[in-house]
This record gives sequence, structure tokens and C-alpha cells, in this order.
Amino acid sequence: MYGAQSKRDLALEFQSQIPILRPSIHARRANLTVKFQDLYGFTVEGNVDDVNVLNEVREKVRKQGRVWWALEANKGANWYLEPSISEGIALKSSLKFSTLANAITLKRLIRNGIPPLLRPKVWFSLSGAAKKKSTVPESYYNDLTKAVEGKVTPATRQIDHDLPRTFPGHPWLDTPEGHAALRRVLVGYSFRDSDVGYCQGLNYVAALLLLVMKTEEDAFWMLAVLLENVLVNDCYTNNLSGCHVEQRVFKDLLAKKCPRIATHLEALDFDVSLVATEWFLCLFSKSLPSETALRVWDVLFYEGAKVLFHVALAFFKMKEDELLLTHHVGDVINILQKTTHHLFDPDDLLTVAFDKIGSMTTNTISKQRKKQEPAVMAELDQRLRRLNSLKLDDK
Amino acid sequence: MARPGNKIIQAKMVLLGDMGTGKTSLVLRFVKGQFLDHQEPTIGAAFFTQILSLTEATVKFDIWDTAGQERYHSLAPMYYRGAAAAVVVYDISKMDTFTRAKKWVEELQRQGNSNLVMALVANKCDLEPKREVETEEGEQFAQENGMFYIETSAKTAENINELFYEIAKRLAKAFPSKPTGMNLNNEVRDRRKLSCCLG
Repeated sequence: MYGAQSKRDLALEFQSQIPILRPSIHARRANLTVKFQDLYGFTVEGNVDDVNVLNEVREKVRKQGRVWWALEANKGANWYLEPSISEGIALKSSLKFSTLANAITLKRLIRNGIPPLLRPKVWFSLSGAAKKKSTVPESYYNDLTKAVEGKVTPATRQIDHDLPRTFPGHPWLDTPEGHAALRRVLVGYSFRDSDVGYCQGLNYVAALLLLVMKTEEDAFWMLAVLLENVLVNDCYTNNLSGCHVEQRVFKDLLAKKCPRIATHLEALDFDVSLVATEWFLCLFSKSLPSETALRVWDVLFYEGAKVLFHVALAFFKMKEDELLLTHHVGDVINILQKTTHHLFDPDDLLTVAFDKIGSMTTNTISKQRKKQEPAVMAELDQRLRRLNSLKLDDK
Repeated sequence: MARPGNKIIQAKMVLLGDMGTGKTSLVLRFVKGQFLDHQEPTIGAAFFTQILSLTEATVKFDIWDTAGQERYHSLAPMYYRGAAAAVVVYDISKMDTFTRAKKWVEELQRQGNSNLVMALVANKCDLEPKREVETEEGEQFAQENGMFYIETSAKTAENINELFYEIAKRLAKAFPSKPTGMNLNNEVRDRRKLSCCLG
């Protein structure tokens, strides 16, 4: 987390300022901090307004659930799981009108949110995880976890180190049972793809997947499909080259979609990757409230990795005026951090991310990635050579 | 607190070192006076600010606390570029973290900033029974590389203020005196940044 100023400390600061500032009753109420658990068991600290927003969100989630149930009643259970619909967007031209209509309905539905109860099923099918799992024997995951039990590798040592440090204090994740499940998923994956092994950041992603998916095995397959199909290649492998590419693409997109901010930040000598790297590697699991992060993931698993750009750009778009007034790097970071941590209403974010940022096709983004790849590779290569020359000097 | 008429130094500081050596814990101890047994791993980097007032100057730190895992190494230049101070951290109970610390120092020296204030921090000195890196080894390496050496424990708070105080002192010496601009004064008025950690 960048600038990990805990909310509790902020609250203490606010409280200590009250006698000096003598705020209005309204401000006093807004500064009163309460602690509560969100839908996924994370402890959230916020003011009274935040609590109200979260209650509204709960109500919206219930309403959205009714929309999904009504569609099931109307179109039949699992209507959205037919391959022609779930893959409909890509196959548009060859489809019947009703299928196309269903695909459009589904896209809109998903942007409005998948009810938590349906998330495991919908994610598993629409992301391609189900298909991936179906290509290997039924016992794959059990065999894998049994085969790697007791093995010690650099990856397993790092995983063990990070287990108690992954969302510490969470009522399930931070228990022996939670640690064991997270360990099996991460260790299993480190053996499935030794190029990735274990990359810090995946601990948060896998932990959140475990909370959403019904079974540990499904969480494992979601992690696999995410790394192997949804995200750009090599995001988490040895020098994070995929992540470097995404950062360059993001900078270009910011210049295009939010040119005033991009110019202002450049003048401050502020490189957006300083903060955006964590967003892209943890898929916002460390920066957004849980339901908001999962709403982003709803769309991510259906529409692909371009969603990450939409969301990251939205943070800047939402705070454009404030950001343009900053004079210092620290202020930029504080604004972004405060914004992300307080996005309790997912719709506030997603409306900006999709309606205000405008469309970006996966195709355009792929082209931009291709354009950036050579520069990233050259830079990483040059760096490696410089580091190697350091070693030669040692001898 | 900032003393009126004092010179103000805005200094970028970066923390480097292997994963789990306690970089974030050192900073949190310095900035907030707190310590968590299970500190979440940092991804990319975390940013903090803190102000230290000396008799000769007020130092405003912009602190970049970086991710320690080896593969995050490729991101590090973005964070140490333009830094006035670098804190290289290792864990006294793990020899391989000392090896990694040496590599960081070599890399920093290649950056060619001869004014860079560098500290070699032997952290977790509360783990004395498990010590793998002797004090002399650390001291000698630091001396050979023009850095200052200090043993700390973020857990017990031992030498944490001393570490940052020493860095501030060296920065004050390295930075020529210059008049304070409007911009800096404006920022000094920002109450939140004035929580001083000394004492």
C-alpha cells in the first residue's frame, strides 16, 4: 500500500484537532470514526457517512440480486452460461439477434454487479476457469497439492513468510485454516508455473479469491485463469516485464484521456507508476474496499485486463480538480489514497470508469502493448547488463 | 516543530533491502511510533512523510519504502532516482539479507550521486540469540563504502530516532543553505505534517 497511513491514526489526528478547529456539528459528526465489518469480513473504519454509504450499497446489492433472479426465471437458470452468450461479444457477427441481445444484457448486468451469492458460479464460467479445469483430470488439484506437500523451495519459503502478513486480522484469512488454504493455493500454483513461482501481491489476490469462491479448488483455478488468460503475460514473472509494459501503456492512456492531469503531474516530476504499480499487481485488492474491488473483478473476468486501465484512469478523473491544485508529490499521493480507500460505493467508481473514460477496445490496448514491449525489454536488458557488470567487478 | 528562520530541506529518501527485513516497520516506527507483528508486505512501494527539526535545519522527508522481493528490483530505479538519502536494510538474523544489502549498496554507488547520504541498517537487533551477521562485518562494510552503520529494532524502537536524526544531520551538512521559498512555507503550515517524532 502506498502511503499506508492507517485510518485509525488519521482519526486520532482529527480528534486532536477538534478543540483547535471547533468544527460545526456536521463536521464533528463526519469526523467521528466507527469500526465495522464489511460484506467480506474486512474491518473498515470510516465516518458516519461512510457507514450510510455501505448500507446503501448492501441494499443495492440486494436489488441487483433480484434483477438476476428475475432474469433466471425469465430466460432459464444459467442462461448466461451458454458459450454463445458468454463469448458473445467476440462472436457478434455470426449470432442470432436473441443471443446478441442476451450478450448485451449480460455485459450491462455485469457492469452493474454480480450478486455475491452468484459470484462463484458466474466468475468460474465466464472467466474461462471452468473450461481450463475441464481440460485436466478431475483430481488435478488434489493430486497437485498432495504431490507438493512437504516440498521446500524459495517460493514456499516466501509464501510461508507472507501467510500471517496477508490481510492480518481478517476473521477467516488470519486463522490456521485460512493460512493453510492460502498456502495450498499459492504453493500449488508455484509448482504449476515455475516461471511465476511466487510473486508478492499474489497473496492478496489469492486471499480475496478464496473469500469469494465456494471452494479452495475453484480459487486455484481462478488464479490460474487470471494469470494465464485474463492478464497480460509476464506480469508476475522474474522481472515483472508485463507489469512494466502495462505501466507504460497506462501513462500513454492518461496523457490521452486526462491530458491536463498528465501535464500537471509531469511538471511535478511525478511518475504515475509510483502509485499505479500496486494497483495493477494487486488488482486493487489492497487499495479499494472489498465490495468495490470485487465489482471491478466482476468486469475484469468478463471484459478482460483493459478494465484495470479504466479503473485506474477513473481515480484521476474523479479528482481532476483537486489534483490540478497540488504542488507536491505527497499531496498527489494523499489525494489518490484517500480517494481509493473511501470508494465504498462501487457505482461511483464504475460510472466514471466506463461512462466518463469512454471506450477503449482490447484491440487498441493490445496494439499499444506491442508498441511498448521493445522499449521495456531494452530497458530491462540494459539494467541487467549493468548489474552483471557490477558482479564482474567483484571478481 | 519548524523553527522560524531555519533552513528547510526537502529530502527524498528511499529504503531498500530484502523482503521481510523490516523496511516498512522501520518507517512506521519513525513516522507513527507504531509496530505491527505482522506487517503486510509492500507491493511496488509505499510513501510516507515526516519532518525532523534540528538546530541547523528542518528536514522534510519524502520517504519511499520499496518492495523487497527480488523480482521487484526492476522497479527500484524509479524510487531511488533523485534521492538525497538511501537506507539499506538487512536482518541480523539472516545472512542472505546482508548479501543482498551489499548488492544494493553497489548499485546505488553506480548511480553516481556522490552526495547521496547512505545508511546501512542492521535491523531486528532484538533477535540477538539468532544473530548471523556480526556487528563488525556490517561496520566494516559500511566504513569501506562511506556509509554510516547503525543497529536498530523497529520492534523495540531501539535506535530508530537516532537513525533518522543522523540522516537529517548529514543532509543538513550536505545541503548548502538557501532561502526558504513560498512553496515551502505554505507546506509548513500544513498541520498534519508537523507531528514531530523526536523526543
